Amino acid sequence: MEAVVALIPLLPLAGFIVTLVLGKWYLRGRADVLPVLMSTASWVLSMYVFVEVLRHPHEAFEWDAFTWIASGALDTTWGFYVDPLAAVMLLVVSTIGMLVHYYSIGYMKGDEGYYRFFAYLNLFMFAMFILVMANNYLLMFLAWEGVGLCSYLLIGFWFRKKSASQAGKKAFLVNRVGDFGFTLGMLLMFLTFGSVQFTQVFPQAGAAAPAALLGICLLLFMGAVGKSAQFPLHVWLPDAMEGPTPVSALIHAATMVNAGVYMVARSFPLYVDSQTAMYVVMGLGTFTAIYAALIALTQNDIKRVIAYSTVSSLGFMFMALGSGAWVAGIFYLLAHGFFKGLLFLGAGSVMHAMSGEQDMRNMGGLRKRLPITYWTMMVAALAMVGIFPFAGFWAKDEIIGYQFANGYYAVWIVGIITAFITGVYMFRLMFMTFHGRSRASDEVRAHIHESPRIMTVPLILLAIPAALVGVVAGWPPESGWIHTFMESVFLHLESEEFGVTAFFLLLVSLAVGVAGIVVAWYLYLRRPEVPGRLATRFPWAYRASFNKFYMDEVYERVVIRPLIATAAWLWRFVDVRVIDGAVNGVAWLWGRLGRALRPLQTGRAQSYALAVLVGVVVLIVVLRIF
Amino acid sequence: MNPVEWYFLLAALLFCIGAFGVLARRNLIIIVMSLELMLNAVNIALVAAANFIPAAAGKGTLFVLFVITIAAAEVTVGLAIIIANYRRRRSVHADRYDEMKG
Amino acid sequence: MPGGDFHPLFFAIVAAWILVAGIGVVTSRSVVRAAVSMVACFLGVAFAFALMNSALLAIIQILIYVGAISVVIIFGIMLTETQGGPTSKFFNRQAIFVAPIAVAAAILIAVVLLSSDLLDAGEKALNPGLRGTARLLFNEYVFPFELVSLVLLAAMIGAIVLARKDEDR
Repeated sequence: MEAVVALIPLLPLAGFIVTLVLGKWYLRGRADVLPVLMSTASWVLSMYVFVEVLRHPHEAFEWDAFTWIASGALDTTWGFYVDPLAAVMLLVVSTIGMLVHYYSIGYMKGDEGYYRFFAYLNLFMFAMFILVMANNYLLMFLAWEGVGLCSYLLIGFWFRKKSASQAGKKAFLVNRVGDFGFTLGMLLMFLTFGSVQFTQVFPQAGAAAPAALLGICLLLFMGAVGKSAQFPLHVWLPDAMEGPTPVSALIHAATMVNAGVYMVARSFPLYVDSQTAMYVVMGLGTFTAIYAALIALTQNDIKRVIAYSTVSSLGFMFMALGSGAWVAGIFYLLAHGFFKGLLFLGAGSVMHAMSGEQDMRNMGGLRKRLPITYWTMMVAALAMVGIFPFAGFWAKDEIIGYQFANGYYAVWIVGIITAFITGVYMFRLMFMTFHGRSRASDEVRAHIHESPRIMTVPLILLAIPAALVGVVAGWPPESGWIHTFMESVFLHLESEEFGVTAFFLLLVSLAVGVAGIVVAWYLYLRRPEVPGRLATRFPWAYRASFNKFYMDEVYERVVIRPLIATAAWLWRFVDVRVIDGAVNGVAWLWGRLGRALRPLQTGRAQSYALAVLVGVVVLIVVLRIF
Repeated sequence: MNPVEWYFLLAALLFCIGAFGVLARRNLIIIVMSLELMLNAVNIALVAAANFIPAAAGKGTLFVLFVITIAAAEVTVGLAIIIANYRRRRSVHADRYDEMKG
Repeated sequence: MPGGDFHPLFFAIVAAWILVAGIGVVTSRSVVRAAVSMVACFLGVAFAFALMNSALLAIIQILIYVGAISVVIIFGIMLTETQGGPTSKFFNRQAIFVAPIAVAAAILIAVVLLSSDLLDAGEKALNPGLRGTARLLFNEYVFPFELVSLVLLAAMIGAIVLARKDEDR
């Protein structure tokens, strides 16, 4: 078992190194072979691990491979901790990772950076696997940074395009802000508990001072806010759409952005004892969910809609975790990975067919020409909106229902509204893209074709779990397979019985989703002139939504300009005046001194002889006195 | 006061007169001459020591002998140098010999 | 002591002679006058030697200093005669500083010499005569004696080489 667990990340690492070194000159067009092979192998091994954990759901597999840092009181290792939670994450990461690798063979064909792309993908897989299997926070953080690096590399993959390289930088920098919190949290954790290993920290959680625990939880959550693109650190995710679509699917929908959710879930023993922290998590998640949904309503770029949708979904997950619906949150994470990944890959397929067009206003009527893409995306969209019996229905509606059942009525209302908006924007996307008359230019229309099989097969393969995982894992509600599976992870949680209230709540969520779809149908198919009129009736609302509530502008004013001004001041004052002044001043001083002393060098022996005589006189006087 | 001390005083004064000449005159030849004065002052002191101090009886005389000899050699070489330089520079002015200035 | 009871008087005369001649060397405008003063000074020193019961050294002083060195110097004056005779500004710029320093040095040396412990300084004349000196020179100090002759040889050769006119090869 140790060997298997170790190989899962090591195989992609080897793939990365070999592809990067040999890719440019030797492998070129064949650079996909090794990485794809590695990702497939990792998937096979991950399935094996998953089955193993299935057989022993109450014992976590722990293994310390070797000591990493043993310095003073800090003793961390490269160690693995595989329990049901990690196993679920492995499932998501390995499956979607593998499918994205195959998809990319078709999507990235002919790109001059072909080998680089696959090398980075493998590097990402390595880091992500370490992240979900690490047995201590420091190693997790290392992997955390690793996936952040890969995100930067892959967002800015087409680095010659200015907007792409800037988006990569933006992602990295905003993440860094969150990571700062994570680091402080780890420090505080170390101070409080004396360790960062899971098995040592978690048992002590109950005995810690409440203030310290709150600090740790909030600081760690700050890291999650950055990594999982919650408000206010969400600004990097829409810009991250500059990267190739497979990247968006893998990293910004299914795996990396889930790292924050995973981390909070993993820190369950810490959060459970700090009610305030959980309220913060829940509040921020809820706010982000509706905030992002409102923005998604007016975006015209197909990828941006899906990006904001991801932010909203992540908000839902935090809402779940924060309110105590831990299992529901992870369940939603599992389902979301599949259907959001599918949505992105489908969008990629659409863009491929439309010769790179991303603006939905220029699409339309693609239903007949791209049948596979259309139907798989329809599955994903229905799952997203939470329609029975697709995956999202079980998970999402369980989350929303939980809020009501536990007395968080305000949260429940926000959740319901958000579900409605989700229905509207999701099907706005579907209708604008696939239905109606084609608004594309003639030239583009001539080229529209379904994607090659290497791209459509992953779509189909993803559609299956997107459809079924809800039923398989979540039935019966509240006590389905996933609930019992995660019992050992989230201890002392009560499994509620499925009663009439719960059934009623499910119906409400379902109704709301359907209502959203109907509204979208009305606005975009039946009477397409209405959205335009609404926009002119309520210009401020439209503009606020379209401009992402001006978040980037706020950052510009509040953070970036003062920083640049401070840096400029520092440069002018400290660097030029003080530092350069000191250095140049010393040089000037010696120059003046030298010039002042130069007359002593007369070149005449008599002057020097006089100096000797003076010296002798002084010497005698001194010797005489002492 | 001991006679030794008189002679020593004389030697000190002559020495400093010579030193003044070496340091303060511009003509190279006069500098050499002042140098000889200094040497003579030293000789006076040595002979005085030899004469009045038992421990230095014979040795003082011998020392002076050697000093005189070497002084002769030194004057010779020194003047040869001055003449050689005079040929180039046409001057025995001490101030002109300042190539190492700065 | 030569001169017996008149020794102090003789000393005073000789000392005055020497010092006046010395000042003459150092302060005269003309080089030739300085040379003459120098010869006078040497003569005075010879007398001082004689006064100190060292006839040998007195003779040697006259022979070498007055007879040889002075001649060499006068030859030097002759060969480097510059036009225009005695010039003004014969003290250089630093003379103002030299004077007090020289005076200070003189005072210092005198103080040091006079306040130190002179071992068994007596009033008797102890200089050995010719015989004693010869004995020392050729027995204990024969090595330095030979070395000095080497030095003289080197000096002679050096002076000849240095003062040679540049001949065409």
